[in-house]
Amino acid sequence: MLKAIKNWIEVRIGLDELVRDQLTEYRIPRNINLFYSLGTVAIAAFSIQVLTGIVLLVYYVPHPDHAFKSVQGIMMDVPYGWLFRQVHAVGSNLLVIVVALHMLSVFFMKSYAKPREMTWLVGFAMLLLTLTFCLSGYLLPWSQLSYWATTIVTNMPTAFPYIGDYLTEFQRGSSQVSGATLGRFFALHVMLLPALLVMLLGIHLFLIRRIGISRPPFGPGGQERVEWTQFHHESYPDGMPFYPHYIAKEVFMIMVYLSAMFFIIAFLPTLFSPADANIPADPFKTPAHIKPEWYFLAPYQMLRVIPSKFLGITLQMIAITVLFFWPFLDRKEERNILKRPVLLGGFIGALLVWIGLTIWGNF
Amino acid sequence: MIARRGFLQIILAGLGLTALGSFLYPLLRYFSPTAGEGEAEKLIVDKREIPVGGSKDILFHGTPSIIINRPQKGFIVLSKVCTHLGCLIDYEKAKKRFLCPCHAGVFDLEGNVVSGPPPAPLPQFALKIEGDNLVIG
Amino acid sequence: MGKFLRQSSVLFIVLVLAVPVLAGYRDIASNAIVNQAVVESEIENLCLTCHESAMMDEKRRKIPGEWRASWHFQNDVSCHNCHGGDPQDAALAMSPERGFVGVPKYQRVPAFCGTCHIGILKNYLASGHGRALMENGSGPNCVTCHGAHNIQKATIDIINENRCSQCHSYDRAKEMKHALSRTEQKIEDIEASITRLKAARVFTEEEDKEVFRTLAEFRTLFHVVDVSLVKDKTDDYLKRLGVIDKKLQGIFSELDSRRNFSVFLLLIFVGMAITGYLLSKTYS
Repeated sequence: MLKAIKNWIEVRIGLDELVRDQLTEYRIPRNINLFYSLGTVAIAAFSIQVLTGIVLLVYYVPHPDHAFKSVQGIMMDVPYGWLFRQVHAVGSNLLVIVVALHMLSVFFMKSYAKPREMTWLVGFAMLLLTLTFCLSGYLLPWSQLSYWATTIVTNMPTAFPYIGDYLTEFQRGSSQVSGATLGRFFALHVMLLPALLVMLLGIHLFLIRRIGISRPPFGPGGQERVEWTQFHHESYPDGMPFYPHYIAKEVFMIMVYLSAMFFIIAFLPTLFSPADANIPADPFKTPAHIKPEWYFLAPYQMLRVIPSKFLGITLQMIAITVLFFWPFLDRKEERNILKRPVLLGGFIGALLVWIGLTIWGNF
Repeated sequence: MIARRGFLQIILAGLGLTALGSFLYPLLRYFSPTAGEGEAEKLIVDKREIPVGGSKDILFHGTPSIIINRPQKGFIVLSKVCTHLGCLIDYEKAKKRFLCPCHAGVFDLEGNVVSGPPPAPLPQFALKIEGDNLVIG
Repeated sequence: MGKFLRQSSVLFIVLVLAVPVLAGYRDIASNAIVNQAVVESEIENLCLTCHESAMMDEKRRKIPGEWRASWHFQNDVSCHNCHGGDPQDAALAMSPERGFVGVPKYQRVPAFCGTCHIGILKNYLASGHGRALMENGSGPNCVTCHGAHNIQKATIDIINENRCSQCHSYDRAKEMKHALSRTEQKIEDIEASITRLKAARVFTEEEDKEVFRTLAEFRTLFHVVDVSLVKDKTDDYLKRLGVIDKKLQGIFSELDSRRNFSVFLLLIFVGMAITGYLLSKTYS
């Protein structure tokens, strides 16, 4: 019976060939490392966010009068609501870590080099989308923390002359963070952003498979270079099969991700929810020591340190723009970052500054 | 090697199915409506018990509440729990208002805050008049 | 093509930079930080401005500091909530027209505090303390036991030998304290439980209010200073507090079972990670 069904499908779409081309005979470089699995882990993590998000949507009410209560209901009254909310909330923080590591490793291995500039651009856009996801999702529980963290972040554009105030109001849909803000952030979070992200993810994956996976610059064969004057697949006929060899490693990494998640849920359940997250939003009372999520702390601290917030925000825009167009700015042929002291120094320096600002921003 | 691989695959599949089950069961519970919430329960009171201007204390879904027969405006059912810190308000018939003994919060007979620290009006419960009966809920 | 892309991306960056620069550094010197939009929660209060200034004598200058350390401060009760007047208007700040009362007369203190604490006022006036004050101005008023500006959350230890024996023997007060202690202890335990639940990010507003209601009724009742009345009611209060306590214990055991379930899932995923790792080794 099973065989008959399989045969029925086989005749119509050529399943065997698909499996052969995409899995068993799809070969990847022998010197590939564990960092190459971070993309898959990010997809898995994003899928978990989508699934738990849909589940939470069943009981969540996007209205200032009901949002906080409905989230409390999910946590305390709905059976196992806490499980799905915790997976969603902890998952969002872990997803940022995975996506950041993915980008750093791509940067470190210079995988963005010609012909993969587009893959980098799309990936970078997805990073920005992920952060927008986090930002919009943060407001939804309508707690003191959501309300005031959103107030601070949406206030940033006021640094721009002339159009700044308008930009801030445009984001909020009103002069202060209000029900109008909740409505648009909700629509963004559950409809627009998922649609955009899935689309970009499709392009990202298409580009990876179409061009072929990049060869890590380290280890045996790492230094081989192909002159890229016209399109061809970069393939590795004597490489290691993707299935089952590399898939097993990816399964391992996804399980490490889930273990980290449930370690936090079991032993540090309040890690990502400060006391202000447990108080309903009150537009008339600013809590003391309000600060944004940990991944926005570095830019936030930078804005606080630089005396003019306009200068600060301009510097940040420059940094983002430079990073976005990095594949076009970095023209050196050498792919091994260890042989490029200036780039390596800049990379480590930027990381240290980021970590330093994050720690500083915590106080 | 092959035997070991097969063994590991079986363990992985077993654990994977357990994990899947451990999420499917909560999911099933999550979507099952919570039984016996008592939300549908109604309370019936004879309206002849309450003269015009009079009141009656009741317990509605666990909330101490009060029925008032307001002159000209008819019956209303309000929670007696002050929205400030949860003390029970007193009905002051002569002054046509509610007063909270803890921090002097004052509400009118519609439950709106007139003065004092309460942040929100008193919750009102649905009420229907069927003949001589008041049906609350 | 590559050259074109590089040139155009450099141009793009220059443009991104140039637009705001050309538009002008509106606030380069303003030293503004990001959260300036966050409204200052403490709006200007003229009472504090004067009372904290050097022109005020030392006793009066201490008042704002005492108030800031008080339970009233923590609950957003400000100067004018008790003393009246208008903290926004310098001319009328201390005007009787705006209901300003500076220091109430000794006998007037209960009415002063009773503007808000009505229930307690009623019971206090019915007590021996209140009757003594009203009849011959000799009884203790609110401030005698609770202090004036640095008012703290009431505890059972306000009843102590030093204070009570200023006027009468401690014997009856001691009996009173003993009668109160069981209920007070229970309330303290429940408040500690609620603090623990809050630390676990459980939203306890409903329980908070229930506890406060019980506590407030109990404290009001106690102001009658009638030992037999407190003794009579103790069982009733303990029963009510028991119901709350049971609910809280239920939440604690729910939190425990959540942790157990999470640990179970953690173990499964760690197991899968180990198996996955060993499996990947068999392929290399």
